[in-house]
Order: sequence, then C-alpha cells, then structure tokens
Amino acid sequence: MTGPFIKLYHGYLYITRGLPRTPRNLLTTVLFLCAACVISGELLRHTGGENNSDLVFILAIMCISLLTDGYVYGIAASVVGALCINYFFMFPFRAFSLSISGYPVTMLSMVAISAVICALTGRIKAQAIEATRREQDTKALYELNAKLNAEKAAIQLQADRETIRGNILRAVSHDLRTPLTAISGAASVLLSSEEIASSERSASLVRDIKSDADALSAMVENLLSITKIRDGVMPLNKQEEMLEEVAGDALLTMRRRFPDCPIALELSDDILYLPMEPMLIKQVIVNLLENAIRHSGDREHIRLRLFRQEDWAVVEVRDRGRGISPEVSQAVQLGRPLEDNLSGDSSRGMGIGLSVCQSIIKAHDGFFAAGNDPEGGAVFRFGLPMEEIKDE
Amino acid sequence: MNEKRVILVIEDERTISNFICRALNANDYKSIPAFSGKEGLSLFFSHSPDLVLLDLGLPDMDGMEILQELSGLPQETPVIIISARDRESEKVKALDMGADDYIVKPFGVSEMLARVRTTLRRSDRLRLSQGSQKDVYHIKDLTVDIAKHQVLLDGEEVHFTQNEFKILELLCIHAGKVLTYDFILEHVWGPYGSSSNQILRVNMANIRRKLKENPSEPKYVLTELGIGYRMLED
Repeated sequence: MTGPFIKLYHGYLYITRGLPRTPRNLLTTVLFLCAACVISGELLRHTGGENNSDLVFILAIMCISLLTDGYVYGIAASVVGALCINYFFMFPFRAFSLSISGYPVTMLSMVAISAVICALTGRIKAQAIEATRREQDTKALYELNAKLNAEKAAIQLQADRETIRGNILRAVSHDLRTPLTAISGAASVLLSSEEIASSERSASLVRDIKSDADALSAMVENLLSITKIRDGVMPLNKQEEMLEEVAGDALLTMRRRFPDCPIALELSDDILYLPMEPMLIKQVIVNLLENAIRHSGDREHIRLRLFRQEDWAVVEVRDRGRGISPEVSQAVQLGRPLEDNLSGDSSRGMGIGLSVCQSIIKAHDGFFAAGNDPEGGAVFRFGLPMEEIKDE
Repeated sequence: MNEKRVILVIEDERTISNFICRALNANDYKSIPAFSGKEGLSLFFSHSPDLVLLDLGLPDMDGMEILQELSGLPQETPVIIISARDRESEKVKALDMGADDYIVKPFGVSEMLARVRTTLRRSDRLRLSQGSQKDVYHIKDLTVDIAKHQVLLDGEEVHFTQNEFKILELLCIHAGKVLTYDFILEHVWGPYGSSSNQILRVNMANIRRKLKENPSEPKYVLTELGIGYRMLED
C-alpha cells in the first residue's frame, strides 16, 4: 500500500533536491493549486453546469499534503482551494458568495475532508519514512557485518600463520636443545680427558666448540621464550618472587659463564616481592648483563641495581662502556625489534637478546628503557608493577 | 671403599646418555645406560645402583611413574631428575615425590658431577647416621648449634628470630638437598600454619643479610628459582 507513495515521495524529493525546505513546500503548494485551477477551468468549459472541481481540488490537496512537510501546507491549501472553488467555479462566477443555500456546507465539508486526508497522508508518510530508515539501517548493519566478518577472517588467517610459525620455531628450538647439550657435554668430557688436555691446540679447539655450543644453547633458550610469549599460547605462569633472589640467580649464572667479569650488585632495602615468571625475568637480567659484557667494551664497572620507584620494582644495568647508538635507544623506546643491520656481526645476538627482553617485559605489563649516562656508559632499565594489574 | 659406585642413567637421547656415561666413567663411577623406562627398571633391579639419573621425558613411560616405583623401595636409592627447563611444576612435583635433586637441560658436565657427588655423600651420611640427628652443624664458617639454639658466624654469635632459626635448622639438617617452599612452610609453620610464601621469602632475605651473603657467590644458601632453597655443603 505504501510502496507507490514512497516511490512518488522519493522521486519528488530527488527532483527537488536542490531547493531548501520552505521554498520547496511553497512551490509545491502553489503548483498543485494552479494545476487544479487550470484543470477545473477546462472541465467547466466542457461539461458546463456539472461541477466536479471539488474532486479535482481534493486530489491536488492530497498530493500537496503528501509531498510537503507537516500538516500546515495541506490545510492552508484546502482553505485556499475552498475559496478558489467558491470564487471561480460556482455560481455566481468570479465572486464570493456564502448566501446561497448549501454553499457554506460545501465549503466546510471540503475543508474537513482535506484535513482528514492531510492527517492520513501524514501518517502514511511517517510510516514510509520509518520503513525507509529501517531498510537503510538493515542495509548498513548487513554491510558492517560483512566487513567485520572479512576482517575477522583476515585476523584469523594472520593468527593461524603466526601460530604455525611459532610452532615451527618452538619445535626447531626444542630439537636443537638436545644435540647442543650433547655437543657441549661431549666437549667437556673431551676437555677433561688427558690426551686432549695435553695438547694445547686441540684443547683450544674443543674449548671453542664448547663455548659456541653454549652460546647457541643460550640463543635457543631465548627463542623458546619468545615463541612462548608471542604466541600467547601459554599464558604467563606468574608467581610471587623476591626480585633479589631472581637477580642473585642471574648473577650466579653470569659468574659461571664469565668467571673473570665482576658485576656489582646493589640491593634495595624495600621488599621487592611481586608476581612474575621468575625464569623469564632471570633471562631478561642475564641478557642485559651479557649485552653489557659483550658490547659495552667495559667489563670492569658493570652494575646491577634493584630499587623501588613508586609502584614499580626497577632493575637497572649500567656500564661505563661506549654507550648505545641512537638507533638502539630509539628502537627500545618504540618497542620495535632491532634491525639486523644494527646488531651486525660485531654484536651478534644483541638483536635477539633485546627483543626477548622487550617481549618478556611487555608480557609482564612492565616498562623497558635504554639510554646513555651523561657521564658515560649505557643504562638499561626495566620495571615491573608491584601489584598484579587486573584485566578490566 | 675400593669398589666403584654404580650409577644408572635412564635417558632416551643417546648422545646425552653417551656423554653423561663418559663423564661419569672418567670420574671413577661405573655407569649403566638405559634407553627406556622399562629397561631402566629392569636394570635397576638387576644391578641395584647407588644412584639413578632419571630423565622425565621418556618415550615409553612417564618418568613420574618410575620415580614413584623407586621411591617406594626399601633401598632408598637416591634419584636425580633430568628435566627440561620450562617445566617448573614438574620439578617441584618430582622433588615432593622423593627425588633428591634435579638438573635442568641444557646442563654442563661439572654441574652434573657436582650434583652426583653431593647426593651420594648425603645418602651415605643418612645411611650411616640412620636418622639420628646431629646437634651441631658446621658449614664453612657457620656453626649452627641446635640444642643451644645458637648460630656462630666466624666465631661471632648472630641473632636470629625463632622462625629464621627454624628455617636455618631445617636447611642444615637437609644440607645439600633442595627443599621446596611447601616443604619448608609445612615444617616451620606446621601443616595448618601460614600458607603465604611471602613470609618465608622475607625471612630468607633476612637470614641472607645476617649471614652476609654475596648474591653472586652464595656461601650458604642457594636459591633454586621457582622451587625452593638448598643449603650448600662444605
């Protein structure tokens, strides 16, 4: 029922889309009234005394109320129409006359009918507008849904890819771990055997095998940690730990690997007991210390400091070496992985090591920063929240 | 003791098993390799070793099952667990189930040999003393007198609170062995006592400060990260 009306209405709105609201409504009203006048005049000329002008006017008023906004124009048109009929198309022509019997009734009923039509078309129009709006909403929702589905599929695909990559990396790392342990172990056995120990050349080769196997082992452990965190497959297995115990354990590991490298430790008087995955945090500290030992050019003044700053437990590694390049500190600041060319050959493993630190600290909701001390040397610092940050 | 101590190595990775056995043989132990759980158990009963090195990740059996079987036996053969690094809870479980110590892959030969030595010495001591406890423990420069409730460091008395002393006493009694947090909590605060780990950790931090420990070179108490503590032997 409303279908043709809606089409008519929208067609009209489309044709008159250039005009502002009020001129458009006025124009519509005047146009239809004039048309009714012209048609009625023609009818009057052909049919003579039989007067059908009121029906023509009612049709015009119906169109007006349909095509204008609100009731005002329709009702105004019905009053004007009634006056026109009275003036032009009823005896005595071209003069007002309310004295002839029946004329006032005709006029009033004409206005009343027009008003009712206005009300009815108004309602139809409102329904039509509502229907259109609903249709548009549905369409928009449908489009949004389709877009979201497409995005979801893309994200899923990306996640699947990441998972597969992580799984491969993890599997490879796991498989590397056993032979590396065996190589390092076999090298140790060889080193302690008499025939090797007696030949300095063989001994130094075997020592190299052992130290490289150990370095590779450390790298594999880093890779394992990174896959563990980046996939999010395994959530962090946090438990409350004393930070000084974790730092102490890291120092012990460093002492075993670099026996000739003294590292000063400065403990805090505060109790730094906080949730973390201890092995991962230990790895961050080990990586930072190893970074200082390998890349700073200073092995004498490496310092590890633990302190509390507001709600953060902070670990700081300082050296008196050559400092870090702006690229490195910027990459750390932005949380970007280091580019290969930055880590280069001279600083083998620095990229992976720092990248691992960043991932681990991020997974702990902590902060990670790097910079240079104005008095010389690099400062790496990370902080962990003293309290568990609850999601939401 | 002229006879070589016998060590059963239950490890399915041949290369690892190989270097462990070589290292043990080079250090005057007699090693017996077993490459599966079943083989390990049958070799255990036919050779009755002095010590078992047990890998938890075996192809045919769960390492825990073997541990359970061994720990129920009257020989009380000590067991050292070999485990992968990222399986903390597994280690704690194994220790609570009666394993004496653990080594984490990747591990070095010297570390493994040290663990073997310590564990053997500890089990010998337990066998000789037959459970009777000593009254005084001497560890390096530290003297802990249980009866007098007194601790001397370098001959000077150091004062500990009640709980700190209890922890120290427990560590001395089990010197060389890893004690899990739960074990210490239960023995010091009782099974229904405080279940909070924090109080134990804080006590331990105080003990360390009183013993003037250097964290990068601990002389007495070693942290086993995520697991517990161990008193070093002299």
